[in-house]
Order: sequence, then C-alpha cells, then structure tokens
Amino acid sequence: MHRLAGFTGLPAQILKIVFMALVDATLVAMFFASLQKHGGLLTVVIAVVFAALNIVYFSPRSVPLKFLLPGLILLITFVVVPVAYTIQMSAFNYRTGNEISKADALTQIMARGLQPDAANTTFDLVMGRVDGQLAGLVTNQTDHQTSIATMAGLQPVAAADLQMTNGKVSGAKGFTPLTADEAANLDPTISALKFPDGKGSFISPQGDAAVLLSESYIYDSKKNTITDTTNGEVYKDNGVGNFASVKDSTRLLEPGWKAFNYFRNYTHLFTDPAVRGPFVGVFIWTTVFAFTTVIMMFSVGLLLAIVLNQKLRFRRFYRSILILPYAIPSFMSILIWGGMFNRQFGAINALFHTNIDWFNSPWLARATILIVNLWLGFPYFYLVSSGALQAIPSELEEAAAIDGAKTSTTLRLIKLPLLLQILSPLLISSFAFNFNNFNIVYLLTGGGPTDVLHGKTAGATDILITYTYKTAFGSNEQNLGLACAISVLIFFVIGSISMWSLKRSKVLEQI
Amino acid sequence: MQTTTSKKSAILSHSFIWVLIIFTIFPIYVVIESSFNPTGSLASSSFWPAAFSWKNYKLLFTDPAVPFTTWLGNSAIIATANAVFAVFIGATSAFAFSRMRFKGRKLGLQSLLLVQVFPSFLALAAIYVMMEKVYTVFPAIGLGSLGGLLLIYLGGAMGVNIWLLRGYIDTIPLELDEAARIDGASTFQIYWLIFFPLAAPVLAVTALLSFIGTFNEFVLASLFLTDIHHRTVAVGLQSFVGAQFGQNWGPFAAGSLIAAVPLVIIFLSLQRFIIGGLTAGATKG
Repeated sequence: MHRLAGFTGLPAQILKIVFMALVDATLVAMFFASLQKHGGLLTVVIAVVFAALNIVYFSPRSVPLKFLLPGLILLITFVVVPVAYTIQMSAFNYRTGNEISKADALTQIMARGLQPDAANTTFDLVMGRVDGQLAGLVTNQTDHQTSIATMAGLQPVAAADLQMTNGKVSGAKGFTPLTADEAANLDPTISALKFPDGKGSFISPQGDAAVLLSESYIYDSKKNTITDTTNGEVYKDNGVGNFASVKDSTRLLEPGWKAFNYFRNYTHLFTDPAVRGPFVGVFIWTTVFAFTTVIMMFSVGLLLAIVLNQKLRFRRFYRSILILPYAIPSFMSILIWGGMFNRQFGAINALFHTNIDWFNSPWLARATILIVNLWLGFPYFYLVSSGALQAIPSELEEAAAIDGAKTSTTLRLIKLPLLLQILSPLLISSFAFNFNNFNIVYLLTGGGPTDVLHGKTAGATDILITYTYKTAFGSNEQNLGLACAISVLIFFVIGSISMWSLKRSKVLEQI
Repeated sequence: MQTTTSKKSAILSHSFIWVLIIFTIFPIYVVIESSFNPTGSLASSSFWPAAFSWKNYKLLFTDPAVPFTTWLGNSAIIATANAVFAVFIGATSAFAFSRMRFKGRKLGLQSLLLVQVFPSFLALAAIYVMMEKVYTVFPAIGLGSLGGLLLIYLGGAMGVNIWLLRGYIDTIPLELDEAARIDGASTFQIYWLIFFPLAAPVLAVTALLSFIGTFNEFVLASLFLTDIHHRTVAVGLQSFVGAQFGQNWGPFAAGSLIAAVPLVIIFLSLQRFIIGGLTAGATKG
C-alpha cells in the first residue's frame, strides 16, 4: 500500500503533464511544419492525433481508451490507412507515365508542344538582369529590332539606350549583363527559361542565341481536347488518365496523369492477355508452393517428433542440432543456400561432382525453393508436433494397449487424428505465411528463371507477393495501380482462409 | 522376433535422424568454412578447408567501403527499439482488452483478429507512396530513414502482439486485481505494479521474438533504406552477394556468422521459454 501511494498524487500528475507537454510541443511543431510544406492529409493526421491524445489523457472519463490509444494510433496509421490506401490506389491508373496530377501533365504536354515557328525566327542574345530578375536582351536577326525579354513580356528598346561593342548589342539602359562566371553557373536555369513574347509564343535561350517557340498544341478546356495544329490531329481525354487520339485510341500524348479508372486494374488481370498469362501462372504456383511446402515441412517435422519421442540415446544432442535452422536468421540461411546451389562454385555441385544449373530450369528452381524452405521450416513443425504429442493424454495409449493395439496402430488411428486436430490452426496459418513468403523466393531465385512465362515481370518461381513487388517497383515499368489490385486480391485470399480457420476453431465465439 | 523389429526400427530411426542432421549441418559447415577461406568461394570440393585466414573478418572491420559495424548497429537499434516499444505498447492495449469492459470491445477484438493475419508488407506500394510523401515534409521519419521504418514495424507488430498478449493476460487470475482494487489501487497502479511484474517473463520472450523478427525483415528494409549507411545487416549483407554474385562470399559468410552467433546462443539458451511461447500462441489463435 505504501509503495502504491507513491504512484498517485502530485508527482505522477507533474510527470504526466511534463510528458504530455513534450509530446504536444512536438506535435504542434510538426503540424505547422507540415502546414507550411503543404503536407495535405499528413497535416490532418497530425491534428487528429494531437486532438485525440489531449482529449483522452486530460479528461477523467474513458479509462480503457487511455490504455488503448497508443496502440490504436499506430495500428490505424500504419496498417489500416495503408490498407485503405491500397484499395484506393487499386482503382487508379497509377504507373510509369501516369504519376502526376492532370494539371502538371497538361503543363508538360504543352511544353512538349512548343516548336520553332515557321519562319525560324532567331535572336542574338545577351543574358542579364532587370531589377534583379533574369532577363534577356534579344535582337531579332531579321529585322534587327532589340528588345528586353522578361517574364512580364517583351519591351522594345530605343536605339539611343543601347550599348554597342564591336557592332553588336552588348547592353542597354536598366539592363545589367551577367558576368561569364554567373552565366556559367546559371546555365541550367537559363536554358529552361521561356520568355513570353506577348503574342502567344515564347523566346527560349539556346546558348548565345535565342529562338522563337510557338505552341503547336491548343488545349480546349471546355471540350477537354488538345489539337495539334501542325497536322490537325485531335486528342481527347480518354477518362483514364491520357489524351488519346480521336482517330486511333492507342496513340497517347505523354505524359499521362494519375486518374480514376474504375475496375480496370482488376479486369486487366483477367482479360488482358499480357497481364493474365503471368498472373494466372503466378497464382497457381503460389498456391501449389504454399500447399506443398507446408505438407513437406509438417511431414518431416512430425516424423522427427515421433522418432525423437522414443527413448533414444543422445536425444537432447540431436534435438539441439536439429532446431538450429530455426535459430539462425532466415535471410542468411536463404542467401547461403543460394550460393551453395550456384552452378559454377556452389558447394552442392562440387560435392556431387555434377554441373547442374539449378536456377536456370523452372522445375529445378522450384525444387530448390522447396528444399531450402524445408530446411528452414521443419524444426518449427518438429517443435509444435512434439509439444502436441506430449499433450495427448497417456491414458489413451494405455487403453489402446490393453485392447491389444500395436504401437503403430495406436499412432495411426489415435494419435495422428488428434494431432491433426490440435495442429490444424498452425497448418493453416503456416499456409497463409508461405503464401506470402517473400524472402524465400526473392532472396533465393529472385523469381527467376524469367524466360518461361512471357510476361515482362513474372518468372517461373515468382509468387504473388514478389510479383506485386516487381510490378510496383520493377526496373522497367512501375505499375502501382496494378500492384495494389494484386495486393487486394491477396488480402481476399488470406482473409478468407483465416476467417474459415477461425470459424472452425471457434475462437470468434470465445471473445 | 520382437527384438529384431525394435532393432530394425531403432536403425531406421537413427538413420532418419542422421540424414536430417547432415542436411541441417551442411550449410552451417559451408558458411563457417568459407568465412575462413581467403578465396571467397562457397565451394567445398574437399571436405577439409584448403586454406585458413582471418582476411574476411578483417575486411569487415577495416574496409571503409563496407560499413559493416554501422549495419550491425542499425539492426541492433531498430530491432531493440521495435521489441521494447512494440511489446510495451502492445501489452498496454492488451491489458485494456483483457481486464476492462467497454463499448466496442468485442468488435475491436474481432477486427484485431482479422488485421493480425495480414503482414504489413502486403500494402508495400501504399506504404512506399505514403512515406515518400512524409519524406517531403519530415525527412527524419520519411522514406530512407530508420525512424520511418521503425514506425511501420511498430504499426505492423501491433495486431499480433495485442492479440497474443491478451491471450496470456487472460490466464493471470483476476483475484489479484480485485485484492489490489480493494486496497484502493487505481487501474494504472494495477497495470504497473501487479500486471507488469507478473507478465515480465512473457513480455521478455515476446520482445525477443519481435527482435529476431525485425532482425530478419528484408522486404521493407530493402525498399526503404537505400543509403549505404542506413542499411540493416540483412540489406547490407545481401548487397554483398546480390550485386556481383559469387564475388564476395567470404566477407558475407564472416558477417553472417558474426551477426548470427549471438542470436543463436540466446535462442538456444532460452529455447524452453520461446517454445512455450510458440505453442501458447498456437492454441490461442
């Protein structure tokens, strides 16, 4: 009681207030930083967290929430929000070439539409500053009219205000030419400049000269079309993130933008042959792999448990060695096995004096994955099977022995069915785990060999999760929308298997 | 007759065990052998090592292009931080679910059960885009930072931890709480002074498993940590053998051993508790 008393009263209150003050100060600072840098949704999240923390910890009500809140915040921010975001992204055309907003895409398209005008108008150029801003002193090579070009437009200069050097314009009143050093340092900025000429065209610096660029695209915001004035071709917003030619809908203007495309990512998975082929192949192998590997690991683990359950000499020694694969960090083991299966210098070919190219044949690569995963996983199943074996009451065995059953019969007819019943939730969760076993595939074969399926990203040993990874972050093309659609499908598969398993084990009713 | 069958079965048992033992030990032997092998290959055409040197170990600690100690440090920091925070925060939430009755508790537990079956890397594309955005505002917890990665690990660990720990807390008798309450203890005091010391061993095992899990995590870490000095051991060691396959097996093997040996020792010495935790979790969920 005396010990308890120290935790209430003033010291505890002060501690709480100091702690909360620190947290609040951090959150407020983050809030304004985020607001300033246009954090968008991030700003909202910080504000919500701030409000939730202060309401919960400074109101005397709702004691449970005081305990739940930190976990809840983490769970919602880093699990629930990403899942919701995955579902949202899966309905978008979001990939290489369609990553930016429509406004940004339009700016870029219009910039690409800038082309030298028909007369090929060229200017002599002197770069400098007007009122501190970069400006160009341009002299038309055809009519020799000199003007100052700024972002505000073109300002003709009277001949009297010009400074000439060696017969060429070198300066003007109110215009400070750049020094050679300055010009060199600002080169990237200067070549990106486009001074409007006030008549819809732009003057663009190109080294010592400047050219007149005029816009060949006309954007009609009402009709949502872009017309190419050089050939009269009309491009219309196709509703899924691109301007597509009216005549030929496969001709698109680059870049596109991130756009809502309904269920197209999902329908692509089942109807577009280029996507469906690899996807179906990967899906089948994922299921076969998860199923086979669980059966293999379980059989070996169970057999070992039965064998080591007898009174053997060196039982403890055997046991300590045989659970080693479970104790070694698995990413290392996988990489080591990867090296051992290597054709040229791997230990396996060296040991058996063979020259097998394990990773270049689809079936051998698949077999390799199953062997390595067996090595990684049998100790776990040994441990849980041996636990379950010992949990079976010995009365059952004795009763069977009195009835005249042999040891093997008792095992087959009494122990095994019981064991399966005890372990089935573990088998199911192991299936779910291996269904998403990224490390074994990615670190061992990298999903390869790739030449079997004709898809761009899927290899013969790719499972759904590695395929998703490659779709989202591949080196050639990145398709985040499609990757999210596959993720959502995996959610469904794993979710339904788990719900089914939970229904069977009646856990849900015990809550 | 009886004796011959049991003899036969004993021989069968032993040969099965020895086949498995060879299968188990083979890669372990290879990695030890190549860590001392100066040629850097994983071949063991002769069973006994042809040459012996500390070259690979020296390289790890002296080559400035290989910040191996930094990687080890990063892994240790992030795995420890994740283990401590995930278990502490998880236990706090689990305590509420186990000991308190409130509106939405049942729904909360059911959603938790559903959430905990999804590994957090399933939403990796979304997480990546989110953290890319966070990076533009707060580089310290955005893409590429250990802080950001820790937050994601913590979020991902919550579901499983709360669920498993709640199962354990349910087994601590309620009488203790009631006695303390009669003595005038508040809920927070019951949590801190009664529940915490009682649950300490289980919390330690959960923390250890969480530590090993984080140490092993590769997907998110490799996606996130591109800067060579921010890598974890998993990502760093993989870059040894991933880039030029077959070139750097020696240092890789040496690095693996250094990183794995402490973990294996901890695991073997605590195996009784860890295995207890395994099966406890198993029958609950």
